Amino acid sequence: MRTITITPKKAFRISVEAENISPDKFASLNIEQIKSLTVWQGNRKIMLSDLFTVEGDDAPDKAEETTIRLAGDFFQVKRIGEGMTAGVVEVQGSIGMHAGNNMKGGLLSIAGNADDWLAREMRGGKVVVMGNAGNYAGGGYRGEKCGMRGGEIEVKGSAGAYLGEHLCGGSIRIGGDAGDFPGAANQGGTIFIGGSTYLPGAEMSKGTITVKGEAKVLPSFQRLEIVQIDGLAFQKYAGDNVDNGKGELLVGVGSS
Amino acid sequence: MIIKGGIVYDPANGIYGDEMDLFIDKGRMALQAKGEVIDASGLLVMPGGVDAHTHIAGKKVNTGRIMSPNDSRQGTEPRSAVCRPSTGYTVPNCYAMGYRYARMGYTTAFEAATPILEARHTHEELEEIPIIDKGALTLFGSNWQVMECVRDKDLSKLAAYVAWGLRSARGYGVKIVNPGGGEAWGFGANVKGINDTVPNFDVTPAEIIMGLAKANEMLHLPHSIHLHFNNLGKPGNYTTAIETLDLLKDIKPSRMRQIVHVAHMQFSAYGGTSWRDFESKAPVIADYFNAHSHATMDMGQMLFGSATTMTADAPLEYGNARLTHNKWSNHDIELEESSGVVPMNYFRKMLVNAVQWAIGLELALLVNDPWKVLMTTDHPNGSPFVNYPEVITLLMSKPKRDAEIATLHEQVPKRTTLAGIERELDWTDISIMTRAAPARVLGLDDKGHLGPGADGDVSIYNLRPLEVDTSLDHAIVKKALATAKYTIKGGVLVSKEGQILATPPGRTFWVDAAVPQADTDRLMIDLEEKFAKYYSIQIANYAVQDAYLPHAKVIRAGLPILSEVA
Repeated sequence: MRTITITPKKAFRISVEAENISPDKFASLNIEQIKSLTVWQGNRKIMLSDLFTVEGDDAPDKAEETTIRLAGDFFQVKRIGEGMTAGVVEVQGSIGMHAGNNMKGGLLSIAGNADDWLAREMRGGKVVVMGNAGNYAGGGYRGEKCGMRGGEIEVKGSAGAYLGEHLCGGSIRIGGDAGDFPGAANQGGTIFIGGSTYLPGAEMSKGTITVKGEAKVLPSFQRLEIVQIDGLAFQKYAGDNVDNGKGELLVGVGSS
Repeated sequence: MIIKGGIVYDPANGIYGDEMDLFIDKGRMALQAKGEVIDASGLLVMPGGVDAHTHIAGKKVNTGRIMSPNDSRQGTEPRSAVCRPSTGYTVPNCYAMGYRYARMGYTTAFEAATPILEARHTHEELEEIPIIDKGALTLFGSNWQVMECVRDKDLSKLAAYVAWGLRSARGYGVKIVNPGGGEAWGFGANVKGINDTVPNFDVTPAEIIMGLAKANEMLHLPHSIHLHFNNLGKPGNYTTAIETLDLLKDIKPSRMRQIVHVAHMQFSAYGGTSWRDFESKAPVIADYFNAHSHATMDMGQMLFGSATTMTADAPLEYGNARLTHNKWSNHDIELEESSGVVPMNYFRKMLVNAVQWAIGLELALLVNDPWKVLMTTDHPNGSPFVNYPEVITLLMSKPKRDAEIATLHEQVPKRTTLAGIERELDWTDISIMTRAAPARVLGLDDKGHLGPGADGDVSIYNLRPLEVDTSLDHAIVKKALATAKYTIKGGVLVSKEGQILATPPGRTFWVDAAVPQADTDRLMIDLEEKFAKYYSIQIANYAVQDAYLPHAKVIRAGLPILSEVA
């Protein structure tokens, strides 16, 4: 097992794009080579070591044997773990936009908060956020028909708007509240929201959305029976009927 | 500039693979020249490619971009010292259009559909497309003024309107899309055949087509009418195609060219009564073209993968949107047209798509005379133009076609004749279908050939036509065609092995046709009333100003007696 620790040299005022911070990119490189990987700050193309200190085991190893530890604040650093297929990225603070984009495997673990577009179009693997996630977690890029297709996202805190937009598979679990329109245009994924939300499942055609707390439900959902899950009562709905949808929406009742 | 030792295919001048030197002087082909020497020893040399039917500029292209931001993620290239940034695949940005055409050895491309009302936008985009020469065809098929003139059988007023419309749009030729259908669509309907009546106008598509064809010949326009048939994209529509072609066969051409150019024939060569028994009628269409000489076509080849359908045939796009559940843009263009845009994916495993794929190839292979068939994909409706090398290699290689058919639905050999076609096109055929014929069909005298005085547009490919077996080595051919070794535009080396070296602005061709003032005076009474009552803008603000075409090339046409005086 190889561990590499990356620490920002200072607080960034201009955001950094660092899709090269990924176990797959590091696997075949020694520390010196990792230091010379490209990152962009604004419109300037520079080396990883210009902005970060890089320490750890020098010998290259397979991606699945690689752990990248990000120490300090990475909230201004975008695209970390993009397309990763294996290994671990462990973020001790918060992380910037587009973390775990198109991720296919491995673990992205974030102790703080995650900014918008967390795990956009994720295919597999697992993302865990101890704090909150921003908007469009597990969503699709603008205009794309599919967001997340597989894998697992777990957020202990709350999530922003458009959680799992255009979801095509995989599962998302939010401990707290979710913003407006979670699971919009859901085509087969699963979302669980521990708190409350607003207008879940707009235009959904398949999949399941469960809201433990309160939710304003669109009038285009058909109200069905009350069901019991793990001893709790949920009102079941089917929809979204504007799109002839066959999705399932469950909203908690009488838990208070 | 001197191009030495190439194997030249210039079929318009009777040169079929001869080793010869070419000379370019002051941007034009010449008999002698000095200057830079380009070594093309043994390599394939052809005139710059000419695309006579493509959708590269204007409101519908931009709508395609707006509704598919995901498309712009593909094909991104950062700016360089010479190039501005590129984005997109089916709907690239303006700069990418110019660079990608030039890289393939193409130097001319004509936008195939622009309503007069939106022509200013088209020209703004055309001007931003670097390198290549351009032009835009103008839509007349569902236009109120056109239909009124046709109804009143006032051919000279119709000709005056066509001339006025081309001048207002700075357009190159007469495009007709699903005639009458654009108007019917305003009422949620369509015309179902060429003898169906257009609501409120008491005219039929057949009358509109005949009227415009006659007006087109009266005006001696360089291009013929450019026709997108009624019932396009529907099973069983080949009868509409034959019926329409037969209408036009006795019209006398005013120039040495066809009477009608059929746009993207593939979409109108369908048999069957529904998508279930959908089959190819390409052999019937090809027989008709073989037996008649008044019509030309472009393939409108479909390739598997992503595309964006965009057309003034709005009811067709409504059907596409319903069929695919995809995004849909629907647009009304006041007194002129309607239109629509739907992103599309064509799948190998889907029988209908596989049959469509085969039909385009059947058409090109079954029509004997390559001068009658232009190679296109109706970019981006059938596939983006960057895939032309794929189409060309399919036409040149039977083994490649067989290998493809083997991956398709098992019904393909039963519903099409493609598997039984042995013909493999050679470099002369390809040079005609991508250069000489499109230029002749459009009436561009200085394009598509390498004779003295022609535009100095030359493409040189990294391929030895005397050595390469195009049937077996189709992968080599495809690679060579995708990236020209040298592309020369107007005597300037613009692209070398895929690297853009210079970005001179291309010219925009438009046709100014003269008509008797008395006809225009009669016409203006009608038009002033229409603008006062119905148009959202004033007549004074309607025509595209010359400021929008800083690199215009005006072609004069018109009634013969007036052109002699002028």
